[in-house]
Amino acid sequence: MRRKNWWAAGLCILALGAMLVPATGMAADEFKIGVITSLSGDLATGGSVTKRGYDLWAKAVNAQGGIEISGKKYSVRLIYGDDQSQPAQAASAAERLAAQEKVDAVLGPYASGTTLSAAPVLEKYKIPMITGSAESPLIWKQKFRYTFGTIPPVNFTGSAVIKVLAALPNGPKTAVIYGSNDTFSKATAEAFKATAEQVGIKVLEFNILPPKQDMTPLMSKAKVLNPDLVGFGGHDEELVNLVKVLTQINFTPKALLMHYGVTEPAFIQALGKNANQVLGASVWTNSIQTKGALGWPTAKAYYDVAAAEYPKDPPDYTQAASSAAGLVFQAALSQLATAPPLDEAARTKLVDILEKLDLQTFYGRVKFATEGDYYHSNAGLTPLMIQITDGKEMVAAPADSAQTKLVYPMTPWDKR
Amino acid sequence: MLVLLPQAIVDGILLGGIYLTVSMGFSLAYGVLHVIDFAVGDWIMLGAFAGLTFTQWFHLDPLLSLPVIFVIFAAIGWMLQPSLQHVLSGSRGRPVLMALVFTFGLALAFRGSALTVFGIFTHSLNTVLSQGSWHFSRGSFFLTIPVIRLAGLVYALAVMVGLTYLLKKTDFGLAIRAVAQNKEAAGLMGVNIKKTNAAVYGLYVGISAMTGVFIGAIVSLNAGMGPDLALFAFFVVVLAGMGYLAGVPWASFLLGLVQSFFLIYLNPSYVLLALFTILYVILLISPTGLFRRGV
Amino acid sequence: MRRLPAWVWILLVIAAVGTVPLLIRDAFFLRLFTEALMWIGLAITWDLMCGYTGYLNFGHGVFFGVGAYTAALLMIKGGWSFAPAAALGGLTAGLVALVIGWPTLRLRGAYFAIGTWAMNRAVLQLALVLDITGGADGLRLPPFLDPPFFAYVMLSVVGGTFLVLWLLLEQAPFGLKLKAIREDESGSLAIGLNPALLKLQAFVLSAVPVGIIGGVYAYWITFIDPLSTLGDLVTDQAVVMAIFGGLGTLIGPVIGAIIFFAFKTYFWAYLSDYQVLYIIILGLAIAATVFFLPDGFWGTVSRRREGRRALRKGLAFEKAKQT
Repeated sequence: MRRKNWWAAGLCILALGAMLVPATGMAADEFKIGVITSLSGDLATGGSVTKRGYDLWAKAVNAQGGIEISGKKYSVRLIYGDDQSQPAQAASAAERLAAQEKVDAVLGPYASGTTLSAAPVLEKYKIPMITGSAESPLIWKQKFRYTFGTIPPVNFTGSAVIKVLAALPNGPKTAVIYGSNDTFSKATAEAFKATAEQVGIKVLEFNILPPKQDMTPLMSKAKVLNPDLVGFGGHDEELVNLVKVLTQINFTPKALLMHYGVTEPAFIQALGKNANQVLGASVWTNSIQTKGALGWPTAKAYYDVAAAEYPKDPPDYTQAASSAAGLVFQAALSQLATAPPLDEAARTKLVDILEKLDLQTFYGRVKFATEGDYYHSNAGLTPLMIQITDGKEMVAAPADSAQTKLVYPMTPWDKR
Repeated sequence: MLVLLPQAIVDGILLGGIYLTVSMGFSLAYGVLHVIDFAVGDWIMLGAFAGLTFTQWFHLDPLLSLPVIFVIFAAIGWMLQPSLQHVLSGSRGRPVLMALVFTFGLALAFRGSALTVFGIFTHSLNTVLSQGSWHFSRGSFFLTIPVIRLAGLVYALAVMVGLTYLLKKTDFGLAIRAVAQNKEAAGLMGVNIKKTNAAVYGLYVGISAMTGVFIGAIVSLNAGMGPDLALFAFFVVVLAGMGYLAGVPWASFLLGLVQSFFLIYLNPSYVLLALFTILYVILLISPTGLFRRGV
Repeated sequence: MRRLPAWVWILLVIAAVGTVPLLIRDAFFLRLFTEALMWIGLAITWDLMCGYTGYLNFGHGVFFGVGAYTAALLMIKGGWSFAPAAALGGLTAGLVALVIGWPTLRLRGAYFAIGTWAMNRAVLQLALVLDITGGADGLRLPPFLDPPFFAYVMLSVVGGTFLVLWLLLEQAPFGLKLKAIREDESGSLAIGLNPALLKLQAFVLSAVPVGIIGGVYAYWITFIDPLSTLGDLVTDQAVVMAIFGGLGTLIGPVIGAIIFFAFKTYFWAYLSDYQVLYIIILGLAIAATVFFLPDGFWGTVSRRREGRRALRKGLAFEKAKQT
């Protein structure tokens, strides 16, 4: 009997001891940048987008030798921590990157739940984190000193596109808006609703639905109500399903606005011609006129490099924002002019530099807010209205970046 | 919103049709083999991806793949069943749990394989029936019936009719019913239990795979779609009475109608809360299902 | 070896394990240590209902979620401090077990499994739609990041749970009574047991520690949301761990939890590029364990040892008879 207990304890300690692979090497000629993102689990689709963005940046910066500090070039090494789409794992990954790998900085998660649990850990270790995703306004309300984001919160992006629609001659006067019940989609739908009411569009129906809910009865109801605009916040599977339902019941609203996932090639591939004229929101496409002070010189240049590296997954704004996050670190670390490994004081100084940074990149302008509801997120970007045209994502507004004329109303499904 | 009433009913029935496709094989498997197959959703997922592959290779309508998919997957199920039987039997005890966990492991393996081969994205199967819809209107009442959903319902009913015929009118069906009722006695009567079990499981897997093609066409398909489908299969089969095949259509339509009415007339946010609470309460009041004919 | 009572040995082991946070101060290791202990707690309490009593609770995670949310709400909205909040998390979970246990335990086998699972899903939906829980946005707790603190808290809770369960299940008649229910519930009535009461006691006993663990989890991770605390993942992993280890014993789930957790963490930390492979391997490993080792690793080992011991005793007896 007693021996069993000893074995149990022994096994326990041995097995866990095996986890203790000590951080290797004192390689002080490189910057160690940790990456926490969803490489597996429900959010893996989004996580892989951020991974591509971060990888592209690391590759580019290393191709030119690395970041130059006082005449010496230091390469960048990305160390990955999979948060498995779970908050507990995100915190664990953060702890591992901070305590064991002793990273100098962190590039952040795809989702807000995972960001919210990783951030406190990084606050404790005073390691700055920039996330190229995580659009939920909740994060910024927490006012984490060490967490930044290159994407503006979704209520900022979402409201802009509604305003574009409202400004059209004969624009939508009525709307039906739904959102899936997860942090991001909910925030999107709420942003749509709030702005619609603000600009005088009557919201006939609004609700937050259980994730992956079959929407046929809801759209049948919408068909009767006949709104000009149908708005939906959700993820890739739900977006495809919604369009299919609309085609199946043969209801074509004048405008169909969805966020996020419209810009994914899988969406267009799954729906074929029915994807055309669908509207989405974005803060970056390969066509906008940006000039990068650092890294890729233009949006198109980035697009070309990214598409060559990942031909099956052309970059969307989350990927661009992720690469931009890397560029921001690059600029800030150069300005810090301290060789790695960075100690706590250096990292705290890095945060000060990040707060004062005003950087032009291929992605657009990066300037983090230092107070208010959008604290430490990048509210300096111009939201773009996207419309799928001929199977491609095209900018329809604002006018100075437009690649195509906004088609409103949509051509009915059965006439395509 | 009375004008929506006929549409609500039709939407509910069509939704029920989808649930029927998911649950009918599952109910058969439980009734005969006494197995709660956790992998039911993932068999469906594999069938959907098989349909996708078929379309990509041969450039034919996915619906044409149905017989091929049925045969392939029925064979896979037939070959797999003896392992399942091994898990269910013997001195190990707790067959329900063992089978549940075994099929749970299989489901994970299927999901991982699908993720590896097909990736994380959502796909759609496009058939000639995908876009059509039938319209009827009389005065202010109207009805729109999407053809592909109707096709799903027709498929489900056809399979139910086929299964009923098989079970009631053929010798093989008699053997199946005998095994379901009393395995030992059936064996004593000369029924080859091993073959019957294998055949039933093969039938179930084949049907589920075909269902996958329909789900891919009506809704969409992706590697992670399994668990949500398994959820509805459990739901329907419990409502119907576990193992009571005849109850499955009624339970499916009920589930579809409740959802449809809830979504249209009540607050959609609460639809799943209501459904799971209803399921729980029904289990407490009448565990053998609405018709009290469960096993 | 002197014959010390088992509970002394258990305390000694817990104390020995308790020296680990003093010796190894690496924060990441302590996080893993804490999480491993958490899973041990979840696995042994689940085994109490399944291995000992014979009831498949597929809603085991609901106690975890209830405990997490109770503790979180008390700390955030009520300003409570950690210990009472976690304790009340456990109490609330126990109350939930009492209230739903009484009707639900009348179900058997597969029905009980699906019933508890439906109840878990219903509570998940409730957490998603209520405002007070923050809905899908979840709740953020005031951060208190102290790895050794949480390691010791988790060790105390789980170690204490193990001790209590050991005393009740392996020393006291309670364990035998539960096993009687597992083997033949109607028969147990005939020998004078009250299965309805016993089952309920076991159910509540399996819930309270899990509720406390949930409360600890909430404060430890600083962020909870419905899917991570009330989703299927908690129950599914506890089930797999208990089965890996061996049902019907307390040591079995401990071993199973450690093996499974070590495997999962190793893959996650060092082979994260192959995470998809992990899912396939895990699925096959689970199926294989059920197929080849239905008694789990520990169960198979201990059965073999018992078998050999019985054989030795039998041979010795035969030999003694001959002389």
